[in-house]
Amino acid sequence: MAHMLFIEPDRKLAEVYAQTFNESGHSTQVASSAQSAILAVDDQLPDVIILELQLIEHSGVEFLYELRSYPEWQTIPVVVLSNIPPNEFDSSHDLLMNELGVRAYHYKPRTSLTKLLSVVQEHVAVKA
Amino acid sequence: MARTGANNSAILSQQLLLSVTEQLKVPLLQIAREAEHGQLSGTTDPVKIQLTAESALQLIDNYALGVRLNLEQSQLEIEPVSVASVLYDTGQQLDSVAKSYGVDLELNIAGRFGPVMAHREGLQAALVSLGTSLIEALPALQTKQLTLQLATHRCRYGIVAGVYADIEKLSSETLRQGRRLQGKARQPLATLTHNSGAGVFVADAILQAMDLELKVSRHHRLYGLGTVLQPSQQLQLV
Repeated sequence: MAHMLFIEPDRKLAEVYAQTFNESGHSTQVASSAQSAILAVDDQLPDVIILELQLIEHSGVEFLYELRSYPEWQTIPVVVLSNIPPNEFDSSHDLLMNELGVRAYHYKPRTSLTKLLSVVQEHVAVKA
Repeated sequence: MARTGANNSAILSQQLLLSVTEQLKVPLLQIAREAEHGQLSGTTDPVKIQLTAESALQLIDNYALGVRLNLEQSQLEIEPVSVASVLYDTGQQLDSVAKSYGVDLELNIAGRFGPVMAHREGLQAALVSLGTSLIEALPALQTKQLTLQLATHRCRYGIVAGVYADIEKLSSETLRQGRRLQGKARQPLATLTHNSGAGVFVADAILQAMDLELKVSRHHRLYGLGTVLQPSQQLQLV
């Protein structure tokens, strides 16, 4: 069992992700913006963060810069689950994966709940 | 010169189409995940799926109406219309979407204004588009209250009809920049919504076809999007 933080601005999607993970035995927290996500991490350290890059006002990339600026949060696994196709981030691949410590990038329309559950399981297992 | 104008118009319509297709990914994704969750848990919520599908259909309908009105601009039936009645019907149409996003809908039609000149179906579609966009964005906007108000008031230039919420960051600059970035950026209205903001641009296109303008406006302490309508002169002859 892991504690997950979903950073997802769409309320309906956030609900269905949280519900699915709760039913699979994980605990979840949802943040709809970069600011509230930082507060959520501070409130309870997540085992994995699932991050949408398209957020209102501050983007997911800005969130990552903020998150990684705190030494104690530098190793929290972050999985990007975004509506932005990964090829649009080709030129920023190094920045995301190496500098900002993103473990995996998944395109939301092509990532089923089952796939997401297995991705998270993988990162929780790596951590353990 | 005319050719450049035609090219610009074609590019603009392609940008709007791109924005709508991006926006449609949201309800389709919600339906796909909701259905998958139903399979995994054995508890499908058909009402949720139905409401989401209906909101996608609404977007398509409003987009199509915008295109049609722009094509038939010269024969548009502009008639005296009651703003209060349009806002009431808009509220009815938005009710289920608002509930599904946990947003309270309020109707403020306190002022007694006479009819305005508008294309009724177009005006209502524009307000529904704007309302849906704000409803979808509100939960992520960190506002104190999840409330959307459909309201009308008199201003120096006519009667304003619009949708309002506690969104301080909504400014004319947000809208100007959004129009510039529409179809070019994934989030043209980055301080207002996390998606393509198609509802706002569809409303913009519908209002343009009616020779009206989408504007950022204020209603009491709320900020919102609406349009200024001209009072019907026909009534004054009676």
